[in-house]
Amino acid sequence: MKIVVAVKQVAALDDDFEIRADGLDVDEDFLMYDLNEWDDYSLEEAMKIKEAAAEGAVEVIAVSVGPERVDESLRKCLAKGADRAIRVWDDAMEGSDAVTIGRILAGVVKKEAPAMVFAGVQSSDQANAATGMAIAASLDWPHAAVVAELDYQPGAATARIKRELEGGMLQAVEIDCPAVLTLQLGINKPRYASLRGIKQAAAKPIEHWSLGDLGLDATQVGTTAALSRVRRMEIPVKGRAQMIEGTIAEQAAKLIEIIKEYKGEAA
Amino acid sequence: MSPQRFLSKSESQVPMTAQALVAHVLESGDFYAAVAVHGIADARQRQRLEERLFGSRRDVLMLARWEHTPANVLDALSRLEHMPLARRVVKHRNTGGSTLKHQFSQSDDPALTGLLALHANTPAPLLLQIAMGDHDQVVLKGLARNPSAQPEVLRLLAQRFPRRFDKEIASHTAVPADLLGTLYHRGDKFVRAAVLAHKQVPEAVLLQAAKSTDTLILRALVKHPLLPAALVDALSQHKDNAIRAALATRTDLPVHLSARLALDESDSVRRAVACRADLSPALMQMLAEDHDPWVRQWLGRNAMAGKHVLQKLALDIHEDVRRAVARNPNCPITLLEKLASDHRSWVRAAVAYQPNVTSCLMASLARDSAVDVLSGVAANPHTAPALLKRLVFSEELDVRRGVILNPAAGPDILLPLLQDPYYLHRVMLASGPKLSDQDKWQLRDDPDPRVRFALFQWLAARALRPVADRYFYRRKA
Repeated sequence: MKIVVAVKQVAALDDDFEIRADGLDVDEDFLMYDLNEWDDYSLEEAMKIKEAAAEGAVEVIAVSVGPERVDESLRKCLAKGADRAIRVWDDAMEGSDAVTIGRILAGVVKKEAPAMVFAGVQSSDQANAATGMAIAASLDWPHAAVVAELDYQPGAATARIKRELEGGMLQAVEIDCPAVLTLQLGINKPRYASLRGIKQAAAKPIEHWSLGDLGLDATQVGTTAALSRVRRMEIPVKGRAQMIEGTIAEQAAKLIEIIKEYKGEAA
Repeated sequence: MSPQRFLSKSESQVPMTAQALVAHVLESGDFYAAVAVHGIADARQRQRLEERLFGSRRDVLMLARWEHTPANVLDALSRLEHMPLARRVVKHRNTGGSTLKHQFSQSDDPALTGLLALHANTPAPLLLQIAMGDHDQVVLKGLARNPSAQPEVLRLLAQRFPRRFDKEIASHTAVPADLLGTLYHRGDKFVRAAVLAHKQVPEAVLLQAAKSTDTLILRALVKHPLLPAALVDALSQHKDNAIRAALATRTDLPVHLSARLALDESDSVRRAVACRADLSPALMQMLAEDHDPWVRQWLGRNAMAGKHVLQKLALDIHEDVRRAVARNPNCPITLLEKLASDHRSWVRAAVAYQPNVTSCLMASLARDSAVDVLSGVAANPHTAPALLKRLVFSEELDVRRGVILNPAAGPDILLPLLQDPYYLHRVMLASGPKLSDQDKWQLRDDPDPRVRFALFQWLAARALRPVADRYFYRRKA
């Protein structure tokens, strides 16, 4: 059986950066790329299932949508033990929103026919928390979000999960398989790739799939197919704010002073 | 960044001279190694390294931000034209004084002054220039907090803006004693408390503060080593718990006062008393019965606590009290043996870190399954080498790190850890003196750039050492 793990290479910013001339994104030179933190946990959960099963019984496939630089993140997944890595890209996919990305990934899932699809709850750069759900919607599969515990035996018809809710509550759910689960941080302890794993991963191929491989055409992806489009990126004007410093007594004294000033009373 | 091209393993000898090391890096094309050896390259080699390092805007921006970028590379970056680097370079903690000065003279970015005012390496004349000419309150507050600000800067700020930055100036280590006096006399109670907390506070100010009835002032005063003796007795009965607790920490407290404070109604006061080295056996016995577990815990850690007190505390219901006993440097070995089988791993871990533990007990703790316990065994210099050799292969990275940190772990034990999956462990080994350069050389094609940087940084520093030292290193290898 197969487990597909949808991963994303996310961008991080330092505090000084420039926005592109078209105003639609940050200048790429200012971005640092890495594997999305949530996806580390998703991959680890898949690896745990694989390692608990008989050798060769479970195949873990890391899948990502993105340009060539994404190979670096997929290589990390291979180094940690994923059996295969698939990168899907076509220039026509530029500008795809989360729903469209979900549609593309669903195309991969249809071809691979896994028993489970894992994704992170959200990505740290865009925070849409939508890709996993969009895959499930495209496939019309059961889904569960913010999974904090998973009990699943390879090949089983159902999985037992616990979802994280507000106020520290957990919701125990039984879900039919195959299913799409978005996994929460802390569900496990992600491993570091061994040096041997890294060296082996360097020699493993990364499969590159295009639109044709998924039976999609350019009208079904990218900006034209997206249901939402970025209009512009902007840095908000900083409001008036003042950190009140000092000891608790000093802070209290300063706060009283500010309130009195606001109310027009003498300090 | 372009893919690295690494040398093959067949080049087995570490380059011994700076020139050979840089030549190796130039041939390998390793970006991060190039950063590490930039400072030891000759002019021609440096030019070639910079072609590699500054080849793309993205790399340049990354370098100006990367926490490990050394001062010489930041200086070279600061001289690149048409790059939005000024803020990054000035903000970088490794940037040297001359580079900061250069940036200040070249850039008209108003934000730079604020960053320079905060930077620990900003040259003194530049800080003085900011203190003399700037009016931005945020910039000047940052300047008053800069640990490198010299007394003239602080004096000037106090003069230009009376009361505005007095609290920051009074808290600065470089503030002159006479200025502290001025600040005390014109300051509010918060500034006065900061003055009294300063090591350089003049005695006259202390005597004046002794007449104060303000709690905040007295709290600061009671911590000062030169507290007038007449005040000690009076303050021991002060209604403020923090004052009595601070008094209880004083080494010059008369014995009769520590006995009185041992009966204090405030837990925080009795906790402070429990740490004292001059407690009588009777007081210790009494504190060992205290209802507050923190009092018992601090007593358990007290190196002067007697055997009977420790025996009693070793049976305490609170695991943190039992752990404190296990951490006590004078805990008898018989007691450690008992605590080594405590049902809580947190207590057993404290035993594992004890330097007094016998090799027999250590062998028993090494069979424990708890990570905290095994980490203690791994870090303990008295652990037998055979045990350490086994712990090197632990699944838990905390345990493996314990071995790396163990001062007694030699090269034969540490060598397998050059293959550790956790990059930081490899960085620690590459940057530490325990392994020979030849052993470390296998990290030259490590997949993690931070490890390669650490290795080449170490080798670059070695290349600058005297020839005799290098010969010794090679012989060891």
